Amino acid sequence: MASDKKTIGITKANAAALAGLVSAGRFGSELDAAKFAMAYAIKLGLTGGSTDGAETKWNVGSVDPDGSMRSLLEALCPEGAEPYRLAEHLMNEGIKSLATKLGASGDLYETLFPGSP
Amino acid sequence: MLQLKALHVEDFGPFKGHQTVKLSLQDGVTVIYGENMRGKTSLLNAVRFAFFGKVIGRGTKTLSLHKVGNWEQAARGKFGFQVQLEFRDEDHEYKLTRSCRPRNGVTTPSSDDDYVVDYYLEKNANVLGPQQAEAELKRILPEQISRFFLFDGELLQEYEDLLSSETDMGRRISEAIERILGVPVLTSARTTLLRLKEKSEHREATAAQGDHKTREFGNQLADLHAQRQVLNEELKRLEGELEKMRSQKASLEEAMKKKERVAALLDKRDTLERLLKEIEARRGSKMAELQQAMAGAWCVLLVNPISDATKVLRESELVLQNNLMRAEVLHGLQANAASECPACLQKVSPEARKRIEASIHGASDKERAEKSRELAAVRRKLAALDQHAGAGRSDVLRILWDAVEEAAVDHAAKQSERDEIAKQLESVDEESLRKTKADFESTIRHIDVLERGVAKTREALDQNKSDAENIQKRLDKLAGANLGAERRRRELFSDLHRLFDDAVGAYREQLRKRVEADATRHFKALTTEPEYAGLRINDSYGLTIVHQDGADIPVRSAGAEHVVALCLMGALQNNAPLRGPIVIDSPFGRLDRGHTRNIVRALPTMSKQVVLLVYDDELPPDLARNELKSKLRGEWRLERRSARHTELVPRKD
Repeated sequence: MASDKKTIGITKANAAALAGLVSAGRFGSELDAAKFAMAYAIKLGLTGGSTDGAETKWNVGSVDPDGSMRSLLEALCPEGAEPYRLAEHLMNEGIKSLATKLGASGDLYETLFPGSP
Repeated sequence: MLQLKALHVEDFGPFKGHQTVKLSLQDGVTVIYGENMRGKTSLLNAVRFAFFGKVIGRGTKTLSLHKVGNWEQAARGKFGFQVQLEFRDEDHEYKLTRSCRPRNGVTTPSSDDDYVVDYYLEKNANVLGPQQAEAELKRILPEQISRFFLFDGELLQEYEDLLSSETDMGRRISEAIERILGVPVLTSARTTLLRLKEKSEHREATAAQGDHKTREFGNQLADLHAQRQVLNEELKRLEGELEKMRSQKASLEEAMKKKERVAALLDKRDTLERLLKEIEARRGSKMAELQQAMAGAWCVLLVNPISDATKVLRESELVLQNNLMRAEVLHGLQANAASECPACLQKVSPEARKRIEASIHGASDKERAEKSRELAAVRRKLAALDQHAGAGRSDVLRILWDAVEEAAVDHAAKQSERDEIAKQLESVDEESLRKTKADFESTIRHIDVLERGVAKTREALDQNKSDAENIQKRLDKLAGANLGAERRRRELFSDLHRLFDDAVGAYREQLRKRVEADATRHFKALTTEPEYAGLRINDSYGLTIVHQDGADIPVRSAGAEHVVALCLMGALQNNAPLRGPIVIDSPFGRLDRGHTRNIVRALPTMSKQVVLLVYDDELPPDLARNELKSKLRGEWRLERRSARHTELVPRKD
């Protein structure tokens, strides 16, 4: 636990996709979009791993000011020993998956409200 | 009475080359049949051009003469046209020839400026001089009253304006009606007598100035006369300007009517621009709300994983909690060996004590502390799960999202509509349209100022007359040199003026009664509604339909309007000192078969010579023949040769 990350970053490859998600207009900030990507990765079944080469974007204090996100990740992904490292990984993987799924349109509606008309 | 004998047209509208339509001089009706775009309106215009040198399009706007010539001939390089009208008036034979030819040196004219319009009039085979010709034409058919002889059935609607004294059109028609009825003969005489009366008053005042007994009154009267002259001149100027402004208003109204569609498009575009701004603002505020809500959107995706994890952790929490409680109880029992069991309150047997100690061996303090930490961790996770399970409000997000989408769709639809309109307005001179509107508003303001000026000047004139009358009364009590002769002269003109003034009122009243009676007679013959008893005339010669119970019919259809207008036409023809043929274009377009039948039957009673320009469905030939019988004096057909060439041929089927 002592070796868990103090910052969270996004890889260069994912930075553009993250900016794209935000520019579609639905998210108020890149952090909101990154958290969404993290949840999307969890929904897809990802529960472990780490990402190398991520460039620092946020302090964990900004991402998870009350520590509840860390507890949540511990509950959802019990095998992950370093929740913030995992969060970083999930964010990057989620961004990648969303970029592939949404393509240029960036329309999250179907992802957010599946089965809607 | 004016009677048309023949119309010769050459390259006029669709009538290529020289063509002639002959009209019978016997009382009755000539029908000229032609489908749409064959040249019925052009024939009416040919008569109008012969008399007045003007060609009028649909509505009341004058058409460019450059566009009137035959297009096929123009395509071959032959421009210009000519119309010759043969007619009879007061037992004299006339031949009026009017032509429109390119100016010398112009080979390919491009506008009206490139043409010269010329005419000559033959009377009993003698060509009249220009001034005599002009005077003859003005006497035979003054342009101001031509609307009662040459008219487009579609414009009969205008006569509705006679019911409202407020409209310029109503005022103009009313004036034209008085003109055709001969009222100006009396009103002109009255004006002349007024001038003579004023002149005699002035002479009397001058005479009074020559005698010391009456000088004072003479001076005062002379001053008042001088003042009256200034006021009269001012009134004349104001009325002239008012007339000019009213006519300007009418042409601006016409221009605006023409641009009505464009003006409506401009208004719509402006409205759309405003709506787009409103939608943009609404979309912006909904988007801000959505972005704020989207901060918790990630929790929405985790609803199922959170629920699954919560279930698992609740079970762990339960197990850990039980384990810890059991360990606590056992530990308590061991620590208080002599005491009773806290659950059953019985003594603990030695065998049971041995089993407790064996169990305690597996639940050391360290292990209990570990379990306690584990339970705390599980509870922390459960708290986090609970916290995030409630953070994602899918329903709220969807409402906001839909609102943003709806605004976007609305915006796109309005924008596309706006762009479509903008495309249609690309070649429109917005500035000119705005200017027309601004000019119209400024003209209305100007008219208002002038009307107030006229009212004020009239008031001052009334005051002047009243003052003069008072002084005149005092002067009448005195005698002086030459005063008697001037006084008699003044009294004579004064009496004559009063007589003519009364005569104008009496004649107008008589005319109204006669027009009302004749219009009612025609109306009863024309209407198919048995409950309508007749027509009632107002001061402006507007006619209202009266029900048999004596009540006015306040609203009438376009068809009824046509019928009433035709009744007025007939009544005017019956009462006018100046009579002539009626040439009507599309008179039955708005009428049902019953009214058409009645009107056709009644036409010979309205005028001695009637020319109808109709299409077959509007007036089937069999209906015309059956109703008119011997009064049908001729049937002609406008036969198509090509899109730009029509031939006038006698109808023989």
